[in-house]
Amino acid sequence: MGIKILTIEDDERIRQAVTLALKEEGWEVLEASTGETALEIFQETPADVVLIDIMLPGIDGFEVCRSIRRASDVPIIMVTARADTHDVVAGLEAGADDYLTKPFAPKELSARIRAMLRRSRSADTGNMERIQVGELEISADEGLVLKNNEELHLTKTEFKLLVELASQPGKVFSREVLLERVWGYDYFGDGRLVDVHVRRLRTKVENDPASPRYVVTSRGLGYKLQP
Amino acid sequence: MYTRKASSLRRHKWWQGLLARVTIAYAVGSLVLATMVASFTFAVAQNRLFDDLKQSSIDQFNSNAAEVRKTYEDLPDTENAEASAPQSLNQKLNRSDASTPILVRRGEQTGLSNIPEKDLPDSLRLAIEEQKRPIEIVATAETEQGSEKRYIIGMEMPDLDVTYYEVFLLADLEKTLSNLRNILIGAAFVSSFAGAALGYYAARRALAPVSRISNAAKEIAAGNFQTRLDLETDPDLAVLSLSFNEMVDALKDKIERDERFTSDVSHELRSPLMTLTASIEVLERRRNDLPDVAQQAVTLLSQDLLRFQKLVEDLLEISRMDAGAVQLQLSQFGLSEFLTIVIRNSATPEIELRHSTRDRDLTISADKRRLSQVISNLITNAAKYGGGAKAISYRKLGDAVQITVEDEGEGIPVKDRQRIFERFSRGGIEAGKRASGTGVGLGLSLVAEHVRLHGGKVWVSDRIDGKSGARFVVELPVGDQIDNDEEMAI
Repeated sequence: MGIKILTIEDDERIRQAVTLALKEEGWEVLEASTGETALEIFQETPADVVLIDIMLPGIDGFEVCRSIRRASDVPIIMVTARADTHDVVAGLEAGADDYLTKPFAPKELSARIRAMLRRSRSADTGNMERIQVGELEISADEGLVLKNNEELHLTKTEFKLLVELASQPGKVFSREVLLERVWGYDYFGDGRLVDVHVRRLRTKVENDPASPRYVVTSRGLGYKLQP
Repeated sequence: MYTRKASSLRRHKWWQGLLARVTIAYAVGSLVLATMVASFTFAVAQNRLFDDLKQSSIDQFNSNAAEVRKTYEDLPDTENAEASAPQSLNQKLNRSDASTPILVRRGEQTGLSNIPEKDLPDSLRLAIEEQKRPIEIVATAETEQGSEKRYIIGMEMPDLDVTYYEVFLLADLEKTLSNLRNILIGAAFVSSFAGAALGYYAARRALAPVSRISNAAKEIAAGNFQTRLDLETDPDLAVLSLSFNEMVDALKDKIERDERFTSDVSHELRSPLMTLTASIEVLERRRNDLPDVAQQAVTLLSQDLLRFQKLVEDLLEISRMDAGAVQLQLSQFGLSEFLTIVIRNSATPEIELRHSTRDRDLTISADKRRLSQVISNLITNAAKYGGGAKAISYRKLGDAVQITVEDEGEGIPVKDRQRIFERFSRGGIEAGKRASGTGVGLGLSLVAEHVRLHGGKVWVSDRIDGKSGARFVVELPVGDQIDNDEEMAI
């Protein structure tokens, strides 16, 4: 069964061209021109990856992202017009895993999708031992994080980030390293991906996200998991 | 947001400041006023005191003169009586502290005092001989203690062959006046100091709104458009505050409109580009299914699509900068690794990277994406016009870092060294003319803008090792250590 990509884009020609190019890359593509139809389609046929253009008529990309995120931990890629706007941070905070700026090369998109699916799978099938840190119990094999024996619902990217940090508790990981290992980015990846995901992760694993006990900032260097 | 620093204003002398000038004006003004008042007071006091002294002196003289007349009219004509007359007179005469009587009888001075009659001014004696009434005069006499001012009254009584004088010393009066003068001078100085203090205070008070406005303007220049002035209770200042706030509103509107426009244009340009990019990629994948001619066309298309994309990106970047809508995404990173990667990703990965061992671990706080665009634009520029960059080096210089890109071309003539950083200017070609190169002439102007946004500068010179070639230098402040959490406040 092929990998299904749901692409949400209101511009008819862009949608057709992107669909064409993605099909050429070998993906199955589902199309939606509005957020409303996208949510209907997603309910019927859950896709493996969702591509959302932020500028949509009706309910906007952020809202679509939040709605999908409430129901699923499917990888979401946002498409924005510019990299240096609040849109990126807002999109990531709405639950997106990664973003691309228009115009992007469909080849680049394919590479991002592959990186995401790889991390989803590796998180599912990796062979790490169970790691116990304070109240947290991370089981990489099962893709589970327990806090006081209750399961936490992390997205795949959040989970992968936590596992990466937990692979060497106490060691500081720079953003560059995390971007490469979790997102598959080279040196010029956007550090905000790490920052926002760390923030999201903290709201789930920390008792008080404002003064974190587990995912700790190391000034000017990066992040670490406090053993 | 980028702003020209207020500190770059020309330095002024301290006295050119409004505060200093108002203070000085108040001080000078009150000194002049106090001097005038003091002089007037002194003149009035002097006259008044002298008049009083004169009046009491004249009264005393008249009563004493009457006593003298009485004594000599009643004097028996004996030698004995004549000899004892001054003695008895001496007891009857009314003598204030500072007065001395002089009595001349039959051409002889009696022993009433130690001031000899001949010391008295001739003019007085002449006047007395001519006029049969009391004559008064102010004279200065030289004594052993120095000069001394005297008020002298004299009168001849020809029927008795007596001339009677009284000499009043003005020393007390002089002393009083001199004390008064000192007090007045002191008071003038005190009041001019008080004036200066008052002026300083008043100017500070008056300038307080100016400094509030200046602070608000600084805030706004730094991009904080929420800043408004409180409306002053003073109606004059309220008008100023109101206009200032209106100006900020208008400015904010304008910037937001510009930003919206840029964003709209950006969206409108990106949409067709997106379709083109995706479609060309499909064509590229299916290249082998196409006839030769179509393949050539696809090659041309995809090359120029890239160029077009770059042009749109650069133009949008510049218009965002013009709109002041750019925010740097600062992070802290090592220069050595950064430059190595930028060189590796460039079209000429063989460029040599040089730095001293001391600077091996040098880090900088900058916008990584923008700085990489700066360096890669310089590399591209060198490839186009300078025969390719040969070496990139960096070094720390105080609080700044200099990154240098050198090529082995013909160098840049001195007259063009400013112009090449302008928009749409290209090596050897005047702006406005078309050229067949692939550049669009925005590369170096973007370099200049990016560097300026970082608070740095960029310039070009000849190579310093004497070889032919251009040497582009980017100088950036090292920047503060950045906290991750601050960085997250995006």
